[in-house]
Amino acid sequence: MRTKRNPIYKLILGEIEEEVRIHPRYADLQNQFGLLLMIEGEMEKAENHFLEALRLNPKYQEVILNLGFLYIEMRQWRKAEEIFLAEAKRHPKDGFIHHVLGILFLQTGRKKEAAAQIQRAVRCHSHYRDYYKRNGVCQRGVVHLHRKAEEALKKIHLNHHHAQYHNFVGLYLAKRGKSVQAVKELRKAARLKPDEFIFHANLGTAYYYQGAYPKAIQEFQKALKIDPFYGMGYANLSYVYGLMRRTQEALRAMKKAVQMNPRYADLHYNLALLYSDRKRYEEATYELKKALRINPNYLFARINLGVLYEDQKRWKEARREYRKILQITPDDEHIRRRLERIS
Amino acid sequence: MLKEDFVVQSNLRRVLIRTSINYSRMDFGTVKGVVYIRGVFQISHPTPDGDEEKMKNLTINTLYSLEKKVRGIPGVSDVIFQLLNWRKERGQWVPIEMKKKEEEDENKTESDL
Repeated sequence: MRTKRNPIYKLILGEIEEEVRIHPRYADLQNQFGLLLMIEGEMEKAENHFLEALRLNPKYQEVILNLGFLYIEMRQWRKAEEIFLAEAKRHPKDGFIHHVLGILFLQTGRKKEAAAQIQRAVRCHSHYRDYYKRNGVCQRGVVHLHRKAEEALKKIHLNHHHAQYHNFVGLYLAKRGKSVQAVKELRKAARLKPDEFIFHANLGTAYYYQGAYPKAIQEFQKALKIDPFYGMGYANLSYVYGLMRRTQEALRAMKKAVQMNPRYADLHYNLALLYSDRKRYEEATYELKKALRINPNYLFARINLGVLYEDQKRWKEARREYRKILQITPDDEHIRRRLERIS
Repeated sequence: MLKEDFVVQSNLRRVLIRTSINYSRMDFGTVKGVVYIRGVFQISHPTPDGDEEKMKNLTINTLYSLEKKVRGIPGVSDVIFQLLNWRKERGQWVPIEMKKKEEEDENKTESDL
């Protein structure tokens, strides 16, 4: 399988190849290189890199799936089936895995088992229900695997690694500040595999960089609907609300982010800012203290805490914090002036 | 003037992400409209020929540009840079010997906190 060559492809391939040469023990790089080779149609080489990635990190799910799809491409049905059956056991609510299993069973003439997997995919995500309905595969809950439907189904198993590829290229472009092109690539990824939370999260981030805030919110919300435990998704959502000055919603999202990631000092700090902006001093103080407990060298948390004490006329505590700050950064004239004012 | 620190902080985060700065070794915070930027300042994509003078000029330009962008954020009343490898002296950005400064800062942090 060869995809239409993206002009940036050669550049990325060269960079990743060089990085793999420098860091051969990075499973992530081995996986990325394998994916690019697979898209280029270099199946044996791709297999070697996926296997190397799995040797380095046997539980790396993305690699496992990529290898499974590679075996489908190579028409090694048994190897592919083993991989996807194990994955379906591990992730019974992943519609795409059931969908792929359905196609695998179809390829090997096991229609009954294929129909059962398609039914499961329909139950996992509305995208599959709509897709099967459109292609005449599933009507009123009954699966019909006639010849035309089979042909339609066999095509979309390519979606997974095409989506991975577009996601990868999108992230590459985003890192280089090319947000318009990045959005294009990431949209392709999310369209090909709409139940993959990370594609929506990445697309949301690209929109955020671009300044398309309502679209960023929409994508972060989609990601969080798929994976409600994705803590950084709530944090990103909160930053976007912040940029739109929708601070009530920002506060709600940041509270969720802190709840999901209670060990991230930065999130406690941001939550404290939201509380102190609303003059909810007690809650702000609590969050800053939490941030400082996690990271005692978190200077900004200490500065904010001093200012917060000052706001509450708790002079002694404010002085204590300012003195600690000046011990670390004696050149800070703002803090020195603040300390002099209350001394 | 707007004094919502979280709004400033969100804008600041976006400004930093969108510049060609390697912000992985930098911290930033906002206190009553005053923005603090600390850490090691580095450009994420160095000049391809590795020319030190070009790199220095590029870094200086990026620092001026960053300062301008941060000051342009609504609600920002001042920007304080506490960088380990660059210092502003009489309005000019000058590189400082990082090792010495890092050691000084580390000693202070360990003994005082």
